[in-house]
Amino acid sequence: MEMHQIRYFLAVSETLNLTKAAERCNVAQPSLTRAMKSLESELGGELLRRERALSHLTELGQRMLPMLRQCYESALTAKMLAASMRKGDIAPLAVAVSRTVPLSPFTPMLRELSRVLPGLQLTLRRGSISEVAESLKSGAVELAIAGPLGEGWSRLDAFPLFEEPFDLVVNETHRLAGRNRAEFKDLVSETLLINTGCEMAEELGASLAANGILDTPTHQVTTREDLLTLLKANMGVAIIATGAVETSGLCRIPLNELNLVRRVSVYTVAGRRRAIACATLLNMLRAADWGLDAGRKPQRELINGGTYAQRRP
Amino acid sequence: MAERMLSDVLEDAFVRCRELDVPLADRLQAFANETRRLDPPFAAATDALVSRLAESNAGATAPKVGEPMPAFMLPDEQGRLVRLDDLLGAGPVAIAFNRGQWCPYCRINIDALARAEEEVSAERRHIAAIVPDRQRFAMWLKTDAQAPFPVFTDVDNGYAMSLGLAIWVGEEMKRLMVKSGWDPSVTQGTDNWMLPIPATFIVGTDGIIRARFVDPDYRMRMAIEDMLAALRSAK
Repeated sequence: MEMHQIRYFLAVSETLNLTKAAERCNVAQPSLTRAMKSLESELGGELLRRERALSHLTELGQRMLPMLRQCYESALTAKMLAASMRKGDIAPLAVAVSRTVPLSPFTPMLRELSRVLPGLQLTLRRGSISEVAESLKSGAVELAIAGPLGEGWSRLDAFPLFEEPFDLVVNETHRLAGRNRAEFKDLVSETLLINTGCEMAEELGASLAANGILDTPTHQVTTREDLLTLLKANMGVAIIATGAVETSGLCRIPLNELNLVRRVSVYTVAGRRRAIACATLLNMLRAADWGLDAGRKPQRELINGGTYAQRRP
Repeated sequence: MAERMLSDVLEDAFVRCRELDVPLADRLQAFANETRRLDPPFAAATDALVSRLAESNAGATAPKVGEPMPAFMLPDEQGRLVRLDDLLGAGPVAIAFNRGQWCPYCRINIDALARAEEEVSAERRHIAAIVPDRQRFAMWLKTDAQAPFPVFTDVDNGYAMSLGLAIWVGEEMKRLMVKSGWDPSVTQGTDNWMLPIPATFIVGTDGIIRARFVDPDYRMRMAIEDMLAALRSAK
């Protein structure tokens, strides 16, 4: 399919009128109709039902609309990225990262970004989940990285990056340190460190309650750094997402029957024009190998990855 | 004996075909024949998709010989961003669009390109593959074929789309592909079931296309001899 065909289709889907769509795209209506027919023949079905003045999308048209819009946007992005920046051009980028998500997994991409865009000027905001969502909505940032935002906002595009399991984390001098597994009943006599700023705090609370951990004493903090500091001071134990925990002095123990994972996603606002730095970073984040595959099992071949290569001379 | 999964039987057939010591076109044809024998409904759906694409001239507007190759900047399998100009700075390059890590034809194609690499690099020419797959799968393709050349990720087929090379698989084909164990939504990390038309462009250091191969029949790829000849004559 071709970009102009999709552009015409998107205009038709918005105007539901071939004449108006042709005007908007600045083409003669017969050209637009021809391009639509050609797209329909490639997709193997009608996209719109033509009725006097007002046309409407068929079931196939409805189904294809978001996919074709995404394709069109990514083609525009590809063209924008290819255009070389002039020397001295400034490439601003405002990003919000949830307080509970460490920055370290993203530094290779940020470093690469500043290499190809010497004019990069990064603004990094930290915040709670609601602050992250708000700064995206208001346009204060173009891109956000966080756990589930729990937002029903339809303009929010979420691209899952990786999933982190929740494990029990204790000080290396703690009596549970060195265990292969732990159980909820091991926590009965412990003080729990809880980060109320964690986007999964509610799910975790429910999990604890369901497993009989109700009246345990707690220390409550609002940042991940404070929680790790208290853990290193052996002030209690914590159940946290362990994907990128800095583990020196700490011990990570899988907790039986706890099946809690946090999905970290990159968020952008659909339909909003992305500047070059944002578009480049988004593509890098989406292409990256996170080692953990959000919500999906790897394909069969990957389990034996490289075996053919090894077997051959 | 329990009946083996269709996907396992096809995988075995793929390995047999890839190891054949015959030209690329014959290895591809051998696997197409195996698919026809092992999974007739799939072969029929493939024929239907290919003829639909051919009738609607899919890929016909892709850049032609004598035209400039549109610029790109894409992440390689290790996340390094590379521009077309960076590649051309090192000599003429063959740019091969492939459908992905899950696609047996592409794995045969990448394997054939990797076997040709020695001859290509000896003449200061280069190969680059482009797939819509994420880096993990791009790296897998590269390792699997022991390919020395980069395998780039074209997120959402954006670059392919801008060249008029993206197609939609269609609902019936999608169902059959999943059954055969071929699922691009896993490798691409998106559920839109778009794929590039496999295509190869030979680009000179001036950025002009010297030869190209575009065929919506994804069982066909540019012959290695044609690629070598075009690379050799490119400046």
